[in-house]
Amino acid sequence: MPNPPVILARDVVKNFSVNGQTVTALRGVSLSFGAGEYLAITGPSGSGKSTLLQLLGGLDLPTSGHLELMGTPIERLSDGELADLRLRRVGFIFQRFHLMPVLSARENIELPLAEAGVRPAERAARAMELLDYVGLSSRADHRATQLSGGEMQRVAIARALANRPALILADEPTGELDARTGAQILDLFDRLHADGTTLVVVTHDDHLAERAARRVHLLDGLIDRDEIAGR
Amino acid sequence: MTWPLVLRSLLRHPIRTVLVVLGIAVAAALLLDMVMLSGGMERSFSRMLLSRGFQIRLSPKGTLPFDTEATIPGITPLLGRLHQDPDIAAAGPVVAASLHARVRDTLITFVGYGIDPAGQGLYEVRRGTDLAPGDTTGLLISEPVIERTGWVIGDTIALLGRLDPGSARAGAERRLAIRGVVRWLYDARGQRSLGMSFRVAQQLGRFPDRDVASMVMVKVKDDAAVDRVAARIGTMHRSIEVNSVATLVRHFRSRLVYFQQLSLILATISLVVGVLLVGTILTITVSERAGEFAVLRAIGLRQARIVALVMAEGALLTVIGTALGTGLGLATARYLDRILTSFPGLPAAISFFVPAPDATARAAAVILIAGIGAAAYPAWLAARSPIAATLRADAE
Repeated sequence: MPNPPVILARDVVKNFSVNGQTVTALRGVSLSFGAGEYLAITGPSGSGKSTLLQLLGGLDLPTSGHLELMGTPIERLSDGELADLRLRRVGFIFQRFHLMPVLSARENIELPLAEAGVRPAERAARAMELLDYVGLSSRADHRATQLSGGEMQRVAIARALANRPALILADEPTGELDARTGAQILDLFDRLHADGTTLVVVTHDDHLAERAARRVHLLDGLIDRDEIAGR
Repeated sequence: MTWPLVLRSLLRHPIRTVLVVLGIAVAAALLLDMVMLSGGMERSFSRMLLSRGFQIRLSPKGTLPFDTEATIPGITPLLGRLHQDPDIAAAGPVVAASLHARVRDTLITFVGYGIDPAGQGLYEVRRGTDLAPGDTTGLLISEPVIERTGWVIGDTIALLGRLDPGSARAGAERRLAIRGVVRWLYDARGQRSLGMSFRVAQQLGRFPDRDVASMVMVKVKDDAAVDRVAARIGTMHRSIEVNSVATLVRHFRSRLVYFQQLSLILATISLVVGVLLVGTILTITVSERAGEFAVLRAIGLRQARIVALVMAEGALLTVIGTALGTGLGLATARYLDRILTSFPGLPAAISFFVPAPDATARAAAVILIAGIGAAAYPAWLAARSPIAATLRADAE
């Protein structure tokens, strides 16, 4: 029996209420991709990219339509089950890094491990392994606020990888970085993809989008183009 | 990971955190003081009355001991019957008299207590010796007497009784030798009191020809039998008032009811202030850190964990504040007690604020529970806020 797709979205609609008026962010998006894919979601501001990413990661629920994450229909999950899904099967990377400022780089990575019940010695070792992976083992005990933007994003990537998730979702991961630092992050994403991680990246950055094997372009809440690189 | 995160989160705004902790400390101190005040006088009164183990007081009908100048008649036969009671270990009469003595051309007034040294619950000997049974020439003095007169053990003093204020002539005079220095258990601060044999005080007092006492103190062998013995004495001697210490404490409590209500109101106010402080500061904190809580939930922390984090902040603030408040409360109680017990006429041995471990623990537990409970609403806010919408708002 073949593995289910990592993501399966069918006619996904998402409405928001803004000042009493309903705004439709997604108008019926259907999308599917499998393990190991590197997908870039592009589109102009307000096209629904970030909304789609949040739905794919179980941060929000669709107004209508069907959405499966690794074979699990997320609309049927309780809040606790969704939290567990995000903890163990999805890793998030945000534009503004969103590290806990009062914790060190190592402690930020340990946070999802601790929540997953990993024992202290094991999670410390895993955090150091991930810091080494992103090239920051020498900054392990620095507070998040003592790191540069590029370093913070690398710690955020390490945090996202902590519980070995099946899917990494990144929202404008280079949006707050200069070109050189952004390029380092893109290299890191290439390495993650090469290591078999499934990646979905929302971006305005053409360089980043060009590195993805598949590019989905959104326009006004609908998929405008779905392209495989090299075709 | 919970406690490092909680502790460091609180230390992000150290001045704010210190101010909140101080606020909680003041509220906890006030609560503790009010708890000590509400039950303290009663406990202190009871402890004072039982300090020599005499559990029953007999006084003139319709009065409390030393409430009026009335006396109990027929004291010798009454004592005889009490001494024959197999449940009674000791019974000591007390008669009070206003006495005078000349010190360097000045006539000084004293309170004279006539006691039976074999059964007295009025004093503790500090220096020298107690009166021996049957000693009709001995005198006991106290520190306030020494301060005023300069008398020392061994001095012989001429005591005057039944003094006519117009002519300054005494109706009776006795020369007594000072045997010892005592602490009078029920005296007001600075009160000058002298102790002598019961018969000598009777002769120097207002009614030398009558066989009377101001009060009789009774010690019962078995504490469990006190009420039964008191009831029996009351039935046998209907012309006198018989009160166990427990009854006297009840009388005292009824007189303190307004005090207790005031304490309760102030304690409630301090509790509300503590709850408002914790609730307000955590609501502000949660509002400021809404994005952080949304990120924590996005990376997989459950709502219950977010609730635990916020409530742990409330608990930590309250624990530190309560610990400081306990010290502050004890210090202020000691200070206030010194002021209140210096009021004239109050027994020096009585305290308004009496620390009781159980009451202190209860007060601390109440403020801890209230403080942690106050964190419930902000914790609920932090856990329930929608993740995606909060992250969107945080990004704008």
